[in-house]
Amino acid sequence: MSIKDTATDALQETKITRRTFIKTTAVLGGSMVAASAVDGAFQRMAGHEQVFSGVQAAGGYPLNTAETTIYSVCLQCHTACTIKGKILDGVLVKIDGNPYSPMNMLPQISYDTPLDKAARIDAKLCPKGQAGVESLYDPYRITKVLKRAGKRGENKWEVIPFDQAINEIVNGGTFADGSSTPGLKEIWAVQDPDLMKALKEDAMAVASGDMTLDEFKTKHADHLDMLIDPDHPDLGPKNNQFVFQAGRIEHGRKEFAKRWLKDAFGSINWYEHTTICEQSHHIAFQQMTNAYKGNGKWGGGKTHLKPDFANAEMVIFFGTGAFEANFGPTPMSELVTWSLTYRNMKMAVVDPRLSKTAAKAKWWLPVKPGADAALALALGRWIVENERYDAKYLANANKAAAAEDDETSWTNATWLVKIEDGKPTRLLRPNEVGLGDVDGFVVSQGGKLVVVDPNDEENPVEGDLFADGTVNGIQYKSAFQLYKEETMAHSLEEWSDICGIPVRKIEEVAREFTSHGKRVGVDLYRGPVQHTNGYYTGLAIIMLNVLVGNAGWTGGMGPGGSHWHEDGSKSGQPFNIVKGMHPGKLGSFGVPLTREKWHYEKSTLFKRDGYPAKRLWFPYTGNVYQEIIPSAADGYPYPIKALWLHKGTPGYAAPAGNPTLAAIADPNVIPLVIADDIVIGETSMYADYLFPDTAIWERWGTPHTTPAVQSKTSKFRQPMIDPLVEKVTVFGEEQPVSMEAVMLAIAEKMGLPGYGVNGFGDGMDFKTRQDYFLRMAANLAWGDKEDGSDAVPEADDEEFRILREARAHLPKAIFDEERWKKIIGDESLWRRTVYLLNRGGRFEDFSKVYKGEKLAHPYKGLFNIFVDNVASGYHSMTGDHFYGLPFFEPIKDAGGSVLAEESDQYPFRLFSFKHIYGGQSRTVGNYWAQLNVAKENYVLINQADADRLGLQEDQLVKIVSPTNPDGVWKLPNHGVMPIVGKLKPIQGIRPGTVAASWSFGHWAYGASDFIINGEVVKGDPRRATGVCPNAAMYEDPVLNNVSLTDPIGGSASFFDTPVNVVPV
Amino acid sequence: MPYVPAVMEMENAIIRMMEDLERALQKPPSERRWGMVIDLTKCVACDACTVSCKAEKKTPPNVNYTVVIKEEVGTYPNVREVFLPRPCMQCEEPPCVDVCPVAATWQNEEGIVVIDYDVCIGCRYCITACPYGARTFDFGEFYGDGTPMIEPYETAPTFEYGEERVRSPEARHESPIGNVRKCNFCIERLHEGLLPACINDCIGRARYFGDLNDPDSLVSEMLRERYSFRLKEELGTKPKVFYLS
Amino acid sequence: MNKNKGWTIAYWAIAIVMLGVGAIGLYWRLVYGHLLANYGELIVWGLWVAMYIFFVGLSAGAFMVSSLFYAFGLERFRPVARLGLLVSLIAMPLGLVSIWFDLGHMWRFFELYTRPSFTSLMSVEVWLYTAFLIVLVWMIWLEYHDEEKKSKMLKVLSAIGLVLVVLYEGAGGALYGVAAARPAWHGGLFPLLFILSAFTAGVAGVIVAYVFFSKDHPDEEDYRRVVSELGKLLLALVAIESLFLFSEYSVALYSSVPSEIAPLIAILTGPYWYVFWIGQIGLGIVLPLIVLLWKRARQSPVWVGIAGVGVVIATFAMRLNIVIPPLALPELNGLIEAVPGSTRMSMQYMPSSMEWFLAIGIVGFGMALFALGYALFPTTPPAEKEA
Ligand SMILES: Nc1nc2c(c(=O)[nH]1)N[C@H]1C(S)=C(S)[C@@H](COP(=O)(O)OP(=O)(O)OC[C@H]3O[C@@H](n4cnc5c(=O)[nH]c(N)nc54)[C@H](O)[C@@H]3O)O[C@H]1N2
Ligand SMILES: Nc1nc2c(c(=O)[nH]1)N[C@H]1C(S)=C(S)[C@@H](COP(=O)(O)OP(=O)(O)OC[C@H]3O[C@@H](n4cnc5c(=O)[nH]c(N)nc54)[C@H](O)[C@@H]3O)O[C@H]1N2
Ligand code: SF4
Ligand code: SF4
Ligand code: SF4
Ligand code: SF4
Ligand code: SF4
Ligand SMILES: [Mo]
Repeated sequence: MSIKDTATDALQETKITRRTFIKTTAVLGGSMVAASAVDGAFQRMAGHEQVFSGVQAAGGYPLNTAETTIYSVCLQCHTACTIKGKILDGVLVKIDGNPYSPMNMLPQISYDTPLDKAARIDAKLCPKGQAGVESLYDPYRITKVLKRAGKRGENKWEVIPFDQAINEIVNGGTFADGSSTPGLKEIWAVQDPDLMKALKEDAMAVASGDMTLDEFKTKHADHLDMLIDPDHPDLGPKNNQFVFQAGRIEHGRKEFAKRWLKDAFGSINWYEHTTICEQSHHIAFQQMTNAYKGNGKWGGGKTHLKPDFANAEMVIFFGTGAFEANFGPTPMSELVTWSLTYRNMKMAVVDPRLSKTAAKAKWWLPVKPGADAALALALGRWIVENERYDAKYLANANKAAAAEDDETSWTNATWLVKIEDGKPTRLLRPNEVGLGDVDGFVVSQGGKLVVVDPNDEENPVEGDLFADGTVNGIQYKSAFQLYKEETMAHSLEEWSDICGIPVRKIEEVAREFTSHGKRVGVDLYRGPVQHTNGYYTGLAIIMLNVLVGNAGWTGGMGPGGSHWHEDGSKSGQPFNIVKGMHPGKLGSFGVPLTREKWHYEKSTLFKRDGYPAKRLWFPYTGNVYQEIIPSAADGYPYPIKALWLHKGTPGYAAPAGNPTLAAIADPNVIPLVIADDIVIGETSMYADYLFPDTAIWERWGTPHTTPAVQSKTSKFRQPMIDPLVEKVTVFGEEQPVSMEAVMLAIAEKMGLPGYGVNGFGDGMDFKTRQDYFLRMAANLAWGDKEDGSDAVPEADDEEFRILREARAHLPKAIFDEERWKKIIGDESLWRRTVYLLNRGGRFEDFSKVYKGEKLAHPYKGLFNIFVDNVASGYHSMTGDHFYGLPFFEPIKDAGGSVLAEESDQYPFRLFSFKHIYGGQSRTVGNYWAQLNVAKENYVLINQADADRLGLQEDQLVKIVSPTNPDGVWKLPNHGVMPIVGKLKPIQGIRPGTVAASWSFGHWAYGASDFIINGEVVKGDPRRATGVCPNAAMYEDPVLNNVSLTDPIGGSASFFDTPVNVVPV
Repeated sequence: MPYVPAVMEMENAIIRMMEDLERALQKPPSERRWGMVIDLTKCVACDACTVSCKAEKKTPPNVNYTVVIKEEVGTYPNVREVFLPRPCMQCEEPPCVDVCPVAATWQNEEGIVVIDYDVCIGCRYCITACPYGARTFDFGEFYGDGTPMIEPYETAPTFEYGEERVRSPEARHESPIGNVRKCNFCIERLHEGLLPACINDCIGRARYFGDLNDPDSLVSEMLRERYSFRLKEELGTKPKVFYLS
Repeated sequence: MNKNKGWTIAYWAIAIVMLGVGAIGLYWRLVYGHLLANYGELIVWGLWVAMYIFFVGLSAGAFMVSSLFYAFGLERFRPVARLGLLVSLIAMPLGLVSIWFDLGHMWRFFELYTRPSFTSLMSVEVWLYTAFLIVLVWMIWLEYHDEEKKSKMLKVLSAIGLVLVVLYEGAGGALYGVAAARPAWHGGLFPLLFILSAFTAGVAGVIVAYVFFSKDHPDEEDYRRVVSELGKLLLALVAIESLFLFSEYSVALYSSVPSEIAPLIAILTGPYWYVFWIGQIGLGIVLPLIVLLWKRARQSPVWVGIAGVGVVIATFAMRLNIVIPPLALPELNGLIEAVPGSTRMSMQYMPSSMEWFLAIGIVGFGMALFALGYALFPTTPPAEKEA
C-alpha cells in the first residue's frame, strides 16, 4: 500500500470515528503497529536506492492554488482577522492571512487581483489564528446533542436525538434524577404583536406616571397573567423570563439571535459579554463622543477610537499594547514595528507588567493598578500648566468653528457648567441665564455669555477656555476650567505618589506627547478600565487626546475605516434584513434582568423600594454580563425560568464566578439551562441540554473591523469545511447543528413568527442559516450606495469555476450553488456576491486611506469634556449624582463605600493579562500554540517580593483574597479546585502586584474526565495546567454574589483585588 | 508640497520578496544563496513563526524547527526583554553534516542543509554537533495521544522536501518518525516560488528571506544598509541567518 | 561455570528473569519506537548509549588483557587470555545491540555499510568494530580449532586486534571530543581517556569473570598469582585514571567558562551526584585503592574480584557521566524556556522503564551468552589442560 493510500484511509477512518462522537479508543494500538514496523523496514530496504536530491518531485506542493483556498474570518480572539484556509482532501490543513485584506498585509493587494495569483500570496497571521486548525479539529469537540444524565455539572451525559431535545425544550423534559424542566412554551406568554405593543406603551406610561397602575390593570385585565408582575408592568411580559446570554458572539450571529429572541420570542433579555471585556472603555468613549440630539437628549457616539499607528510619532498605551492582545496583534503589530524601526516612533506603555509592547517602548510606566486616572491627570496637569494643549482647537465650540480650523471634531471645553454647592452639576442652558428659550448651551466670550448650538454648521462659535463667573446667581465655570481644576487637585508629586510613577517620567512623557503636534495618540483598553472607577479613568485618559486635538488627523486618533453595511440598513440595499423583513414580528419590552439602559428612578420599583435599590441599575451601559445570573439568583428585578448560554463561560471568565456557578447549578434558580458550545465548557457543563455548535471555520458571520484598520473593510465568514457536527433536519432542510439550527428548530416547533416558508416575506424563505447570511453577503456586495455604484464587480465564469472547485469537498447541505443563487435571486447580484465570497469580504484600496494630513475616515463630532448625559444620572444605591468630569476615584463597592486596599493580610494587588497565544478561554486545545509556546501560566511576582517572602521559582502558591480566603474554585457537583499556580519571580512586574495570565486553569474544555452514555471520556492533563485567578477576585461585599462593578461603565472589576500568595 | 503619509510609500515586503525569489529561481541552483534576515528591532516575540512552521510541516510535539528565545535583562524598574528567533542557521560550514555516519544530511547546491528521511538512521549524532540546537528528533509523538482521537490535521500529508509524506500513529516507525528533523528553509515552497511559511506569517514583519547572491534582493539591501550579526560567529560555521539590531 | 550447582541454577534463574524483563522492554521498543524513551531533545543520548560505549570499551579492554598473552607473550597472563577473548566477544555484541536499539531506524543499520561517510567518526567506529569482530572471531576459531600455525597467527591477529581496539576506543573518545557544540566534550583528552578506561574496565571485567564466573581453578596457587597480577595492573590503571580524572575536572573547573563548568557542577552536585561520588569515586577509586593497597585483601581473589566489580560499575558510571550531563546544557541561553511545551527539551534525564527493562535484558542476554560461551569455549588454557 502506498503512502498516499494509507493517508486517505487514515483520513476516512478518522471521519468515521468523528461521526460516532468522540470515541475512547486506546491511542497506542499495540500489535498492529509492531507488524507495520517490520513491513516498513523491508519496504524501505527495497526502496532506499531512490536517489534523493533536495526537491525535485514535480508538483510537489499542491497548496496555494485557488482551488484549495477558501477565505473566511478568524475568531480565535475577537479581532476577527480575515483568513485564508488551505484545504486538502476536505481537511483544513493550514490557515494564513488573506492578502486582499488590510488586516493581514501592509499594504494589501488590490481587490481585483486574480484569485490564482492571490492564492500564492500568504499574508501574516498571529499564532492563535494559525492554531485555529486545532480548535476546529479538537478531539474534545462535541458533535451530537447531549442531555444531562446526572446532576448539573456532574458531567454525566447521554446522547439524544436533536428532535427529542427540541421537543423537550419546548414542551418540558425530565431527567435521569427525576427532576424536570418547564418548556419554553410556558414562557412564551405574549404572542400577539399588537398586544405586545399595547402592553408596552401602557407599561411605560405607568412607569412614567402617565397612567395609574389601576388603570393599567383594568385595561389589561385579560392579560395580566402574561406579565411577570402585574404590579410592575414595566418589568414586561413573562417572555422576558427566557434569557439569552452570549459570550463573545459576533456580528451576523448577534443580529440573528436578537431577531429570534427579542423580535420573535418577545424577550428583552438578550446579552453579550461586553462588561467582562472592556465596556467602560466603550462607555467612556461613547459618552465623550456623544452627540447632542437636541432637547436635552444625547445619542450616537463612537465606542472606540484608535491611534493611526502608521503615522503617529508618539503613542501612549494605557493598559494595553500592540503585540499581545488589543484589537489586535495581527493588524497592529507590523504598523507599530514598522513605525518604531523606520519612523522612529516613540512609545510609552502604562502597565504594571513589562508587556511585549513595553519591552519595545522608550518608556515603561509600571503604574499602580487602578491608579491610571491619577497618572492621566498628572500628565494633564503638566500639559495644562505648561500650556502645551491645542488652545485653538479647544476654543472651537461648535461644528462650524471646527470647520474653520480644518478640524472635523470639536469639544465642549468652552461650554459653561453650573456650579451648585461648589460642585459642577449640569451644563448651563441658555434659558437659565436669560439667553432666550433656545436649545443649546452657553459659552463665555471674553466674559460675555453667548449661546452655542453644537451642531451648527453655519455660525462658528468660539469661547473662553477658562471661564469662572456668576450670572443670575448661578455660578458657572467652563468645562476646561473644571478639567484644569481636576488636574490641579493634587500636585505632580502627589499624583506621582498615587500612581507610583516618578515625576520625572511623567514630565518626560508629557513633553514628548506634546512635541509632535497632532501626530500622537493615546490608546487604552482593559487595563485601566476594568475597575470600579473604569469609566472615569477612561475619560481621564481619552482627555489626553482631546488636549492635543488629534482626532481625524493622519497620525492621530480615528474610528478606523469601518465597514459596508451587511444588515441592509442603507437605502437601496437588496435585503433590509435586520430592521425589516420580519413578518409577524412580536417585539419585546420591559426592564432587563440586569436593569441596564434604565434609570432606576424611572421604574415602578423605585416607587416601591426607593434608595438604595436592591442591586445596581445601569442607566449608561448595556450587556452587564456578570450581573445576569446573580440577578436571577436574587430574583431581582424578577426571577427567570430559562437560560440559553451561548459561547460564553460566565462562571470562569467573569471575576468572582463562584456564586454564578452555584446559581446556574441550581434548578430552583434557573429551572431550564440550555447551552451550545463546541466542547463541554467550564460553564456549559452545567446545562440541562448541550448542543454542539459549528466552529468558527464551519459557519457564517459578518464580524466588524477594529479601528486599528484605517481602510474600509467588510469581512465575511463562510464555511471552509463540512462541519464535524451532526446534521439535522429543520423546516425540511438538512443542516448542521449550530446555534442557528437550534433557533430555527425551536421557531419551527413553536411557530415563532418570521421563520420557515416566507419567513423573510413573500417568496423569501428562512429555513437555514444560509438564507440569512447569503443575503448579508449580497448586501455587502451591493455596497452602501443607493444606486449600487459601489458594488463589487461581477464574478466571471472562471471565478465561478474556482468557487465550485474550492468547495468540491462540501456536501449539498453546506454548499449548493443552485440554492445559493436562488436565495439571492438577481443574477448580477449573485455574480457580485460570488466575487465577494471568493475574496472573503470586500476591502477598500490602500490608496484611499489617507487624504494628506487627514484620515479619509475621520471621527467627525463633539468631545464632551464635561459629560452632561452622565452628570444627569444617579447611582441607584446611593442616590448620588454621577460626576460629569474625569477624576480619580478610589475602589468602591456597590453601596458606594471605599474598599480597603492592600493590607498586611493581603499585601498584593492582583491583575491578569492576555498572552498572544491565548484566545480567551478557548485556545487550551491549541497544542501548537498555547500548549507549545506556553504550556502553562504562572503566578508572577516581582523578584524582590519573592526574595523578601522567601518564595522560590516553581513553588506552588495559592491565591487568597478577602472574599475568597480559602483560595478555591467552588464547582458545584464537581468538587473544589484550589486557585493554585506555580510561582515565577520576574523583574518585569511592579512590586506589590501579583499577576497570572489568562486562558489557563481549566476544569472542563477537555481538561477533566466526563461520562457519555456511561462511557468515561478521559480528559487531557495538558489542558488542566496553570491557574485562573478569577475566583479570587473581589466579590462585592454589599451584593455578595457578584464581582465589583463600575456603576457607570458596567465593567466588572478584574484588577482591584488585594490578595496574598500562600505557599501550599 | 502636500503631505504624503510615509506609509503610503511603503513597499509590500512580501510581494517584493516573492519577486526576488522568482528572479533567483531563474538562476542555476548553485548560484543561489538563500539567506534569512531577522530584524530584532521588529520582532515582537509572538511566535507566529514557530506556529506557522509547525502548521506547515505538521511537526509533532517536541519538534520545533524554529523557536523564539525570550530573555529578561536588568532589574526592576530598568528591565528589558530581548527576543531572538532561531531557525536553522543553514550554516555554510555546517558541523552537523560531517558527523552523519550515513551521509543522510548534507548541504545542497543552494546552500540548504537537507536531511534524507529515508536514509537517516536516527542516531542523533548531528543533534549533538549543532551549536544552535536547531535539530530535533521525531519521537513519534502525536498531539492527539491520550485524547479521544488523533485529528486529521495531524495525519494530513505534508510536502516537506517535495515529498508527500504522512505521519501516522498507525506507523510510528515510518519516516519522518525516528528521524532527526530541522528547518529546511521551506525548500519545497521556494521551488514553487513561495516564501518560507514563517516569513509570510510573521506579524512583526521581522523575518525576511531571499537570495544573498543577488545584490538587488531585499535581504541583500537590508544587510548593506543595517548593522547585522550572526550567532556564535566565532565558531566559523558561517550561518546564513543574519540578525539586524 | 562455578562448581556449585545451586550457583548455576541461580545464575540461570537470574539471567532468565532478566531476559524476561528485557523481552517486555523489547516489545515496547519494537511497538512504540522511541515513544516511551526518556532521552529527549536536549539529552538526546541516554542509558543505551552509555551502555554501548561501556560494552565496546569492555570488549576492547578484555581484548587488551588477552593480548598481554597473545601479542606480547606474557605467559603469566595466559590463564586469562582465553577468558579475555570470550569477554571481548560477548561484550561487543552487547554494545552493538545497545546502540542498535537506540537508533531511530533500527532496520537501517545496514546504511552504515552501504553508504558510510568517513568524515563521521561514528561511521569509522562501525567499520572498526566490524574489522575487530572479524579478527576476534578468527582468533577464537584459531584458538579452538586450528592447532597448527595457530600461535604465530594468533600473535599477528592479536596485534591487529589491539590496533583496532585502540583505534576504535580512541575514535570513540574523539567522537565526543570533536563536538565543538558541546563545550564539556570538546577537548583532546577524550581519546586517551577512552583507551585507558577501556583497558581498566577490561582488566576489571576479566578479574570479575575469572574470580566469580570461571569454573574450577585447577591450580589454586596459579589462580591466586594471576589474580594478584591482575590486581596490581588494575591498581596501576586506577591510579592513572584518577590522575586523568583529577586533571580533567580541576582544569575545567578552574577555567571559569560557565558552559564548561556547568556540566561538571551538575555531575558533582546535581540530582545524580551519586553516580559520580558513589559510582566513579567510591566504587571506582576508593574501593579498589583500599582493597589493592591493603596487602591482605590484595591477596584474596574474592576481594580483588570485589574491587573488579567496583571498577566495572564505576566505568559504567563514568560512561553515563560522559554521555549525559554534557548534553544537559542548552546550546543557546533560553532555548529550553523558548518552547516550554517541548517537554523533552529538558535538562533532567532518568531512563524510562522501557530503557531500564531493555538494558536489563541486554545484561541478561550477556549473562546467557557468557554461560553458553563458557560452555562452548572452555577458558582454561589448553596447555594446562594437557598437563
Ligand atoms: N491574544 C489575545 N488577544 C486578544 C484577545 C485574546 O483573547 N487573546 N481578546 C480580544 C479581546 S475580547 C479583548 S477585550 C482585548 C483586550 O486587550 P487588552 O486590553 O490589550 O488586553 P488585556 O491583557 O486583557 O488587558 C489588560 C492589560 O492591562 C494591564 N493591566 C492590568 N491592570 C492594569 C491597571 O490597573 N492599569 C494599567 N494601565 N494596566 C493594567 C495588564 O498587564 C494587561 O497588559 O484583546 C483582544 N485580543
Ligand atoms: N483572568 C482573566 N479573565 C478574563 C480576561 C482576562 O484577560 N483575564 N478577559 C476577559 C475578556 S476581555 C473577555 S471578552 C472574556 C471572554 O469570555 P467568554 O466570552 O466567556 O469567553 P470565550 O473564550 O470567548 O468563550 C467562552 C466559551 O464559549 C465556548 N465556545 C468556544 N467557541 C465556541 C463556538 O464557536 N461556539 C459556541 N457556541 N461556543 C463556543 C467555550 O466553552 C468557551 O469556553 O473573558 C474575560 N475574562
Ligand atoms: S488576532 Fe485574533 S482574530 Fe486575528 S488571527 Fe489572531 S486570534 Fe485570529
Ligand atoms: S544550524 Fe545546526 S543544523 Fe543548521 S546547518 Fe548549522 S549546524 Fe546544521
Ligand atoms: S540522525 Fe540521521 S541525519 Fe543525524 S547524524 Fe544520524 S543519520 Fe545522520
Ligand atoms: S523556513 Fe520553513 S522550515 Fe524553516 S523555520 Fe521557517 S517555516 Fe520552518
Ligand atoms: S513571527 Fe516575527 S515577530 Fe513574531 S516571533 Fe517570529 S520573528 Fe518575531
Ligand atoms: Mo474582551
